[in-house]
Amino acid sequence: MSTLSNDELIQELNRLFAEEVEAALRYLHLSNAVRGLEHVLVEPVLKKAFRETLEHAEVIARKIRALGAVPQLNVNLALDPVPVDGKQALEMALTFEEAALEAYQDCFRRVEGDIALEEFIRSQIVVESEHVAELKHLLVE
Amino acid sequence: METWKEFDQNVITHSAAHHLMAIDDLVGRLGYARVSDIARRLNITRGSVSISLQPLKKAGLVQQDENRHLRLTAAGQALVDAIKTKRHLMQRLLTEVLGVAPAQAEIDACKLEHLVSNETAQRLLSFLRFLDGDPARVRELVSAWRAADPTCAGEPAACPSCETECLAARLERPVSQGNRP
Repeated sequence: MSTLSNDELIQELNRLFAEEVEAALRYLHLSNAVRGLEHVLVEPVLKKAFRETLEHAEVIARKIRALGAVPQLNVNLALDPVPVDGKQALEMALTFEEAALEAYQDCFRRVEGDIALEEFIRSQIVVESEHVAELKHLLVE
Repeated sequence: METWKEFDQNVITHSAAHHLMAIDDLVGRLGYARVSDIARRLNITRGSVSISLQPLKKAGLVQQDENRHLRLTAAGQALVDAIKTKRHLMQRLLTEVLGVAPAQAEIDACKLEHLVSNETAQRLLSFLRFLDGDPARVRELVSAWRAADPTCAGEPAACPSCETECLAARLERPVSQGNRP
């Protein structure tokens, strides 16, 4: 069993929930900030990431509910109306994905021993690692 | 440049100052600082920390190694040292001289620490050194001021500190949240 109490597990999941919701909002904003011809290629990548990130948030919210709690959301976000080109947008997306990957890796260490959560977080690490690899591939000169 | 625009020209934002100080504190205590540690420390998401760190890396204030551990550059450390010094000086002025409660002094010093110029901080240091030179006399002076706590008694025209209206009255007016810019 995990050494974390139920409340601590919920707190960990709330942190992940906030990460995913915030990332989804950033993707939504970013996908509409891309300018130039590249937006034809980049926008679908960002829109897909937006939908997936929101799905991750929903899965985490369900996990929190399964632990008997209501998700807590604490997001403080102000996004400027600054246009970006395709490469800048992908670089920002890579930053979001690397942050998400690190968040899951950090959480994995903390929930070690809780089989169900470990499995869930392990699968998320796989998904986020793939996203990071994909974005790095797109950014190769 | 118009004075109010100076605010936007500041080297770093309030948020950036806290990111830099968090790195400094974590490296001092743990020997390393990761994005996760800063996020927990500042109670924000790792995504926010990663985004906030980008301009600090570009400005040459923060470096990240191959293990994703963060550290301040010499320029970053100099900036943090200056901010911490200004916070300390502001806190001393607010608590020891003006008699502001320590908790409020900490909040106000935190808001000002990255905005005050080095020139002003130098003058403040000089003033505090002057006070430290004769603590008994300073205590006497501060006690006399606190005991008197002068007001203009509703006659701002006769008050050497007030203008056409009482300055204290201006500060006591409630500020509606809706009127904030």
